[in-house]
Amino acid sequence: MALDPKATKTEKPRPHLTEEFCKGCGRCVTACPKHCIELGDHIDPRSGLTPVTLDLEACSGCGLCFDACPEPFGLHPNDVEYEWEMSDPKEHFGPRPESSGPVADFIPDRKIPLPGDLQPLLIKGTYASAIGALVAGCRHFYGYPITPSTEGAELMAKVLPKLGGVFVQACSEVATVNHMYGAGGAGVRTMTFTSSPGLSLMLEGISYMVGAEVPGVFVNIMRGGPGLGNIGPAQSDIALVCRSLGHGNSHAITLAPADPQEMLDLTILAFDLAFHYRNPVVVLGDGYLGQVTGKVKLPDHLIEPGLPAWAVYGDEAHRRNLISSIELGEADLEQHNYAIQAKYNLMADREQRFDAFQCDDAEVLLVAANTPARMTKAAVQALRNHGVKAGLYRPVTLWPFPIDGLKPLLPKARRLVVVEASLGQLENELRLALSHAGVNHPDIEHVHHTGGVLPQIDEIVQAVLAEEAVG
Amino acid sequence: MTVFYELFDRHAHGEGLKAHATHYCPGCGHGLAHRYLADAIEALGIQDRTVAVSPVGCAVFLHYYFDVGNTQAAHGRAPAVAIGHKLANPDSVVISYQGDGDLASIGLAEIMHAAQMGLPISVIFINNANYAMTGGQMAPTTLMGMTTTTTPAGRTDFFGQPMKVAELMATLDGPVYVERVALYDNKQRMKAKKAIEKALRLQVEHKGFSFVEVLSECPVQLKLDPVASQTWVKDNMVPVFPLGVKKDTSKACEPRDWHKPSYDPELLLAKVGAHNEVPTRHAAAFPTHLDAHDVALKLAGAGGDGAQTAALLLTRAAINEGFDSTHIPSYGPESRGGTSYADVHIAADEVLSPSAPNPHILLAFNSPSLHKFGPKVRPGGVVLFDSTVVESEPEYAEGVRAYGVPFGQIALDLGAKVVKNIVALGALQAATGLFPADTFKVALEQALHDKCSMIPVNLQAFAAGADAVKAQLG
Repeated sequence: MALDPKATKTEKPRPHLTEEFCKGCGRCVTACPKHCIELGDHIDPRSGLTPVTLDLEACSGCGLCFDACPEPFGLHPNDVEYEWEMSDPKEHFGPRPESSGPVADFIPDRKIPLPGDLQPLLIKGTYASAIGALVAGCRHFYGYPITPSTEGAELMAKVLPKLGGVFVQACSEVATVNHMYGAGGAGVRTMTFTSSPGLSLMLEGISYMVGAEVPGVFVNIMRGGPGLGNIGPAQSDIALVCRSLGHGNSHAITLAPADPQEMLDLTILAFDLAFHYRNPVVVLGDGYLGQVTGKVKLPDHLIEPGLPAWAVYGDEAHRRNLISSIELGEADLEQHNYAIQAKYNLMADREQRFDAFQCDDAEVLLVAANTPARMTKAAVQALRNHGVKAGLYRPVTLWPFPIDGLKPLLPKARRLVVVEASLGQLENELRLALSHAGVNHPDIEHVHHTGGVLPQIDEIVQAVLAEEAVG
Repeated sequence: MTVFYELFDRHAHGEGLKAHATHYCPGCGHGLAHRYLADAIEALGIQDRTVAVSPVGCAVFLHYYFDVGNTQAAHGRAPAVAIGHKLANPDSVVISYQGDGDLASIGLAEIMHAAQMGLPISVIFINNANYAMTGGQMAPTTLMGMTTTTTPAGRTDFFGQPMKVAELMATLDGPVYVERVALYDNKQRMKAKKAIEKALRLQVEHKGFSFVEVLSECPVQLKLDPVASQTWVKDNMVPVFPLGVKKDTSKACEPRDWHKPSYDPELLLAKVGAHNEVPTRHAAAFPTHLDAHDVALKLAGAGGDGAQTAALLLTRAAINEGFDSTHIPSYGPESRGGTSYADVHIAADEVLSPSAPNPHILLAFNSPSLHKFGPKVRPGGVVLFDSTVVESEPEYAEGVRAYGVPFGQIALDLGAKVVKNIVALGALQAATGLFPADTFKVALEQALHDKCSMIPVNLQAFAAGADAVKAQLG
């Protein structure tokens, strides 16, 4: 507000009070050196409050009262004209004003080709996932060290600064998820690596991300629990991730890789899904998957991410945007929750993924995910050699559980055997999905271990053969 | 006034008075802090690029009023969220606006680390000495003797002294500007206004972390009228929380440089070690004399024996030859000084289980490893152990061939103790015929392409290990 110095003497604005917005706090009363303002004595029927009264005879236009008024539309200079009138904005704007919606354009992602003759990389699972994230255009990594996931963070620490990216070792997992909330809310691709106890600490933030519709990728390398447990390979967090991913009915697509190649492929997919649905995505691996080194091929392109229209990026186009999960009105929150539920339903319809190995004629269907699925695949081959028509049904999404692919296999199946490195968490997901689907199925058997012990090929084979009449 | 929305449509849909009135109680200091923040944003011309991060507390609805980019953060986490925003777009001007419960209690870790990190964000800290939104409970800044709903008899020593956050911030290296201000009279309000503008200006100049603590009135929870609240702050809070600049190194501070993210495929491939050089193959076929489809190996020793490195070389050699292969280490406490082992699978088509509880081949670097895993080697398998340190052998399965080779002594004789694992690989090659020796050489040269000077001694070690086994074969 550059004023002409010569003009100011005569043109100093004097205060004007919009009484209905004055709460009568009296700060201006003590601010005024000329004692022009007094506490009022009549209640404004519009606000139910008692506005101050102004007698401006002695007013010098010093302006101190403006800076003492806490209300944006209370006491203001008399040369400011407001064009609004008291009315219900619903009449002008409808139930939720359009002006609060995004005005920015969606800037699409760009695919940049990679050479087709690259040799496969020989890397461990956490590295594969980190490189997958880099290929998917992630340049913002936040994390807190925790075995057996830390190597992923270490690779990011080494590579990201050379790619102009951001690596931050946060002060905790709690800070990590909130850094991600900020970065994801700004519309950039962000991720972390963590392990079971770390994920527990992130749950509040994940719930906020679901509520505020912020994308982000969480790679959780599960270890044996509860508590500090151990760092052995386990599937100890399936229930946590699928059933209780934070408070308030939060869900996220949960991808379950089985080898280093899938650690890369599914991390790339996780970013697509996270931004498509504006929701966090979890890549859930066991301790073996974090540590196992294997052959990994890079895809034929990398992604240069665009910028979503809803982002709070901090520029003109995105200024009207808001990242928030608070909705005080019950009806508003119910609408919001219905919208989130509709997203969940869409994910359940469209994002079920599975891998079926020798399932077409399978009479003994084995269900397994992550590393135990590798043992189970070997067991299926061994069982076939024993003349048992076995097959492996491997969920690649644990949430949503891929029930649609399983249903057509059930009529032929005499037996349904869950193989897992937890005491029934995968089985519970299967049972829930079967129950919702309302389909007939054989009794469910299991081969399982916990605490860092993995089911081995021989015991799976023996467990199946024990109940088979094999010559 | 333009930094405030002309219509507070997020405030109960902007119905009635709420379209233009804040939700704050009469006399609340938040309104003034909002006003000064809005004035500063306008004065600096940064409305389009401002992102305001609001806390949990009375200011949770900052986004009702400020026509800027808005993010609502979880309780205490606003500085962490602000860092996420700032690093996503360094040209944005990011404000973390927090109360005393949010910042000084549940969020103390986040604010301390954000401050020490020193990224240019601006923190406005409203200290009103209580948890106002939840109904007047004790805050970390509640004064001694002060009555709140959770200190009904007044704050006592049991809860410790009030937290002096501005002083705490000033002890850190990260912040460039820390000031405590108040709102109780015209003079203090002018200072508060200037401080808030300075905190934002320093960020516009990419200078560093700035922090303004505002002593603020909460008449409702103090059970005083607004004017008496001002006096109360002056008389009671200021002696405990002295006003003034606590730290200002902004003049000497250099503006920060930022980097743009790169999506250059060449750069990415180079940094992750991807290349298209086809390794020379030397194996005529899969080693079916060991297994038709899948050979399992276990390499075990003490941490530092090089079992993991040798295992990775085997995996690399197998993949160079076009087979599938995996390596899984035992990890964690076991590998720090205790036994360390690696399982390797080499498969014609696809490795299934990566673990090797019953390997075809065992390479044992010490006696505990040999005794632990030796008996588990499959019938007809091969065991190699370091005869430098192993004095006795366990019982093996039928047909297991065992070779004691002084890996350690041979390496020592070569003047390079660290190559004993390569001696062992040479022995393994000669004893099993897993792959031709040249396959291992290719893998070794690949692994040592950054340390070329180490290649000759490694090749010597490999040959010496192989020779030692050949001598035993006769």
